Amino acid sequence: MPGLRAIGDWLDERTGWRGAARSWVDHPAVGGGPWARAMGSAVATCVGVLTLTGLVLMTGYAPSPQGAWASVAFTQFVMSGGWLLRGVHYWAAQALMVLAALHVLHGAFMAAYRKPGEIGWWLTLAVLGIALAQGITGGLLPWDQRGWWARVVEGNIIGLAPVIGGWLQRMMSGGAELGAIGLARLYTMHVLVLPLVLVGALLARRALALRASAAAPDAGGATVGDRVAPGVLIASIVVMALFGLTCATHGAPLDAPADPLSDYPARPEWFLMPMFALRKLFHGSMEFWGTSIVPGLAAGYLAALPFLDRGKGRCARVIAPVIGIFVGAGLLALGAIRHDARDAGYQKARAKADVQALLAGKLSVEGVPPAGALEMVRRDPELHGRDLFDRHCASCHVLGDLGDPEKATATKLDGWGTVPWLEAMIHDPDAPQFFGRGPYKGQMPSVDARPKDKAPGAKWTPMVKSDADRHAIAVFLAAQGDAVAQAGAPADHEDAVRARGEKIVSDHCTSCHLYKGEGDDEGSKMAPELAGYASVAWTRAQIANPSSAETYREKALDAAMKKHMPRFDGDLSAADVEVVARWTQEHARKTSPKPIGRAPAGD
Amino acid sequence: MADQTKGGRRGALKTLAALGGAVGCASLAIPVTRFVLAPESGSGGGGSWIKTVPVDSLAEGEPKRVALVADHRDAWTLEKHVELGAAWLEKRGGAVLAWSCVCPHLGCAVGLASSGPGFYCPCHDSSFGADGERLTGPSPRALDALATRLEDGFVLVEFRRFRQGIPEKEPVG
Repeated sequence: MPGLRAIGDWLDERTGWRGAARSWVDHPAVGGGPWARAMGSAVATCVGVLTLTGLVLMTGYAPSPQGAWASVAFTQFVMSGGWLLRGVHYWAAQALMVLAALHVLHGAFMAAYRKPGEIGWWLTLAVLGIALAQGITGGLLPWDQRGWWARVVEGNIIGLAPVIGGWLQRMMSGGAELGAIGLARLYTMHVLVLPLVLVGALLARRALALRASAAAPDAGGATVGDRVAPGVLIASIVVMALFGLTCATHGAPLDAPADPLSDYPARPEWFLMPMFALRKLFHGSMEFWGTSIVPGLAAGYLAALPFLDRGKGRCARVIAPVIGIFVGAGLLALGAIRHDARDAGYQKARAKADVQALLAGKLSVEGVPPAGALEMVRRDPELHGRDLFDRHCASCHVLGDLGDPEKATATKLDGWGTVPWLEAMIHDPDAPQFFGRGPYKGQMPSVDARPKDKAPGAKWTPMVKSDADRHAIAVFLAAQGDAVAQAGAPADHEDAVRARGEKIVSDHCTSCHLYKGEGDDEGSKMAPELAGYASVAWTRAQIANPSSAETYREKALDAAMKKHMPRFDGDLSAADVEVVARWTQEHARKTSPKPIGRAPAGD
Repeated sequence: MADQTKGGRRGALKTLAALGGAVGCASLAIPVTRFVLAPESGSGGGGSWIKTVPVDSLAEGEPKRVALVADHRDAWTLEKHVELGAAWLEKRGGAVLAWSCVCPHLGCAVGLASSGPGFYCPCHDSSFGADGERLTGPSPRALDALATRLEDGFVLVEFRRFRQGIPEKEPVG
């Protein structure tokens, strides 16, 4: 390729690049054994991989609270090669932290901090510090539950630092709480400031090592090839290992979008677990010792090693605390992880978070609204409805595993709106799972069971004459909440049953109830509207305001009705009411009632 | 002599190691390239049928500019009911004709000609006839006609984008 050589010559004449390039690779062998050189190559590979994958990932990332999670999810689930890039970037970051920590340990054992190695030692510590800072800032970028909550807790710990704590926290969070400015600041730190400082520290370390080896007698014999070949081989092994880890773990983790209102079981990244465990050992006002002073003393000890050990021989008393720091950190982290593994409450919360992560990921593929991923979560019954029910409804109602069956005062919603539930309900409205524990006890008569207060001989006519009629009412009412039936389902064999049910309801039930706005001949203003009963619209109206004419009507909020259902249109937004109504309606129908007390149906 | 052979063998081994290593490192290029080239396979040229105005709202032989409103997907964002673009609709007898408002030259918005029938692009002075045909100016082709059909009294327009600046009408995406 004479043309290429000519261009090279032309450039060299003007820039002298060949000499510069040669001096970069062709230098006396740097001190340290093959082990140290392999470590150096591995560190350089990780930094290179992080730079390359990081740059590419940046091209698909939006650093805003609205866009961050959505763009990362898009990279993870939609963009081709995206999950691999994220995974390799994530694992290269973890590897860099481990390698930097090993480098510190190695340096401590070799007493590399002794004169004239002090500066090099501090640079080694700085590399570890920057690698950890990159882990922390990078963890926030997906703006998911994991990263967001960890940063919130860490921000508050920083806020406790004396004098400048509060100021520092506000500077990092971008205000009173972690928000758009905080994300943009930490993003800038992660992609620009810290990488420049890291590369600067690595280059300075290299220059110092070269200076030291130039002063030492030449090891001799090592050619450029001797140094480059093993380096490239190690780089390739590192890259393969990163791919392996990525595939084994399905890439980097991505939790559900950050939700400040959720009850997320926040945990720091693994490398901060020692501090998480340490905090638990200090109580009350001493907490700051666990979160900051003890870790600060450990870091300070490592930094002060050049002053603590000026001796020539190996000094076990100086090295012992170093071992203590690393072993102690490891044991603390392992202890905390073991504690979590045995904590049923944590495991349950974690499992819930994993389900939400999965659901949110699936949902994101359909597209995220411009208002952001949190808006997507808040509009989804599966992701948000259950939480809302748990927080606002489960103190009185029971549905599935939510709510306490012993303490529930309102209707149990397992199977609510289905034929079996309705049949059992109209047969025995005062059963504990229906009105038995609430203000409506005694208000609704059974359609076919003799009231207990009727004297044995007294005349009494049941509203329905047969089990078939009772069934017909239930079938008719169940269809009220059934979206399919509402939309005009094709005629089937149940049509006649439904029609029979409608006739009975119109003839008998409307003496108290409303049906399509008509009825309540006795003026009770209490028995609910039955048209659309247990449909999404009915549920929505009832949650917003039980005293609405479409549901339980005027008396629903009467002070005399002790422990009545409150209206939620003040506490919850219209969107939240919609979401919890959808979730409740759907899940009530999916959940089969558990027998409690006595059998729910029949005698 | 023996030493030299050994050195030669070691040299070959080193070259092999370096080459193998380079190939290993180059495997990173696979996800990088796929990620960077992902927009190439992306859609965005439309091709969906969009419901517009009632056919009764169009006057015979009079072009009307209507917004094409539909869901817009931009990478991860899904925006509901936004204006994706606009089209000129004109009723002629029983049929409704539609032209994209995007000038085939360099993509400016085409308006009505100020004098007489036809259309006019204010950016580079391309003018088009009443049937969208090219009259004067730099536009390389006629206005891009869009397919239409009627459904329940409404005009449905097939929304598409076409490459600008070439004589052929070539859909994008």
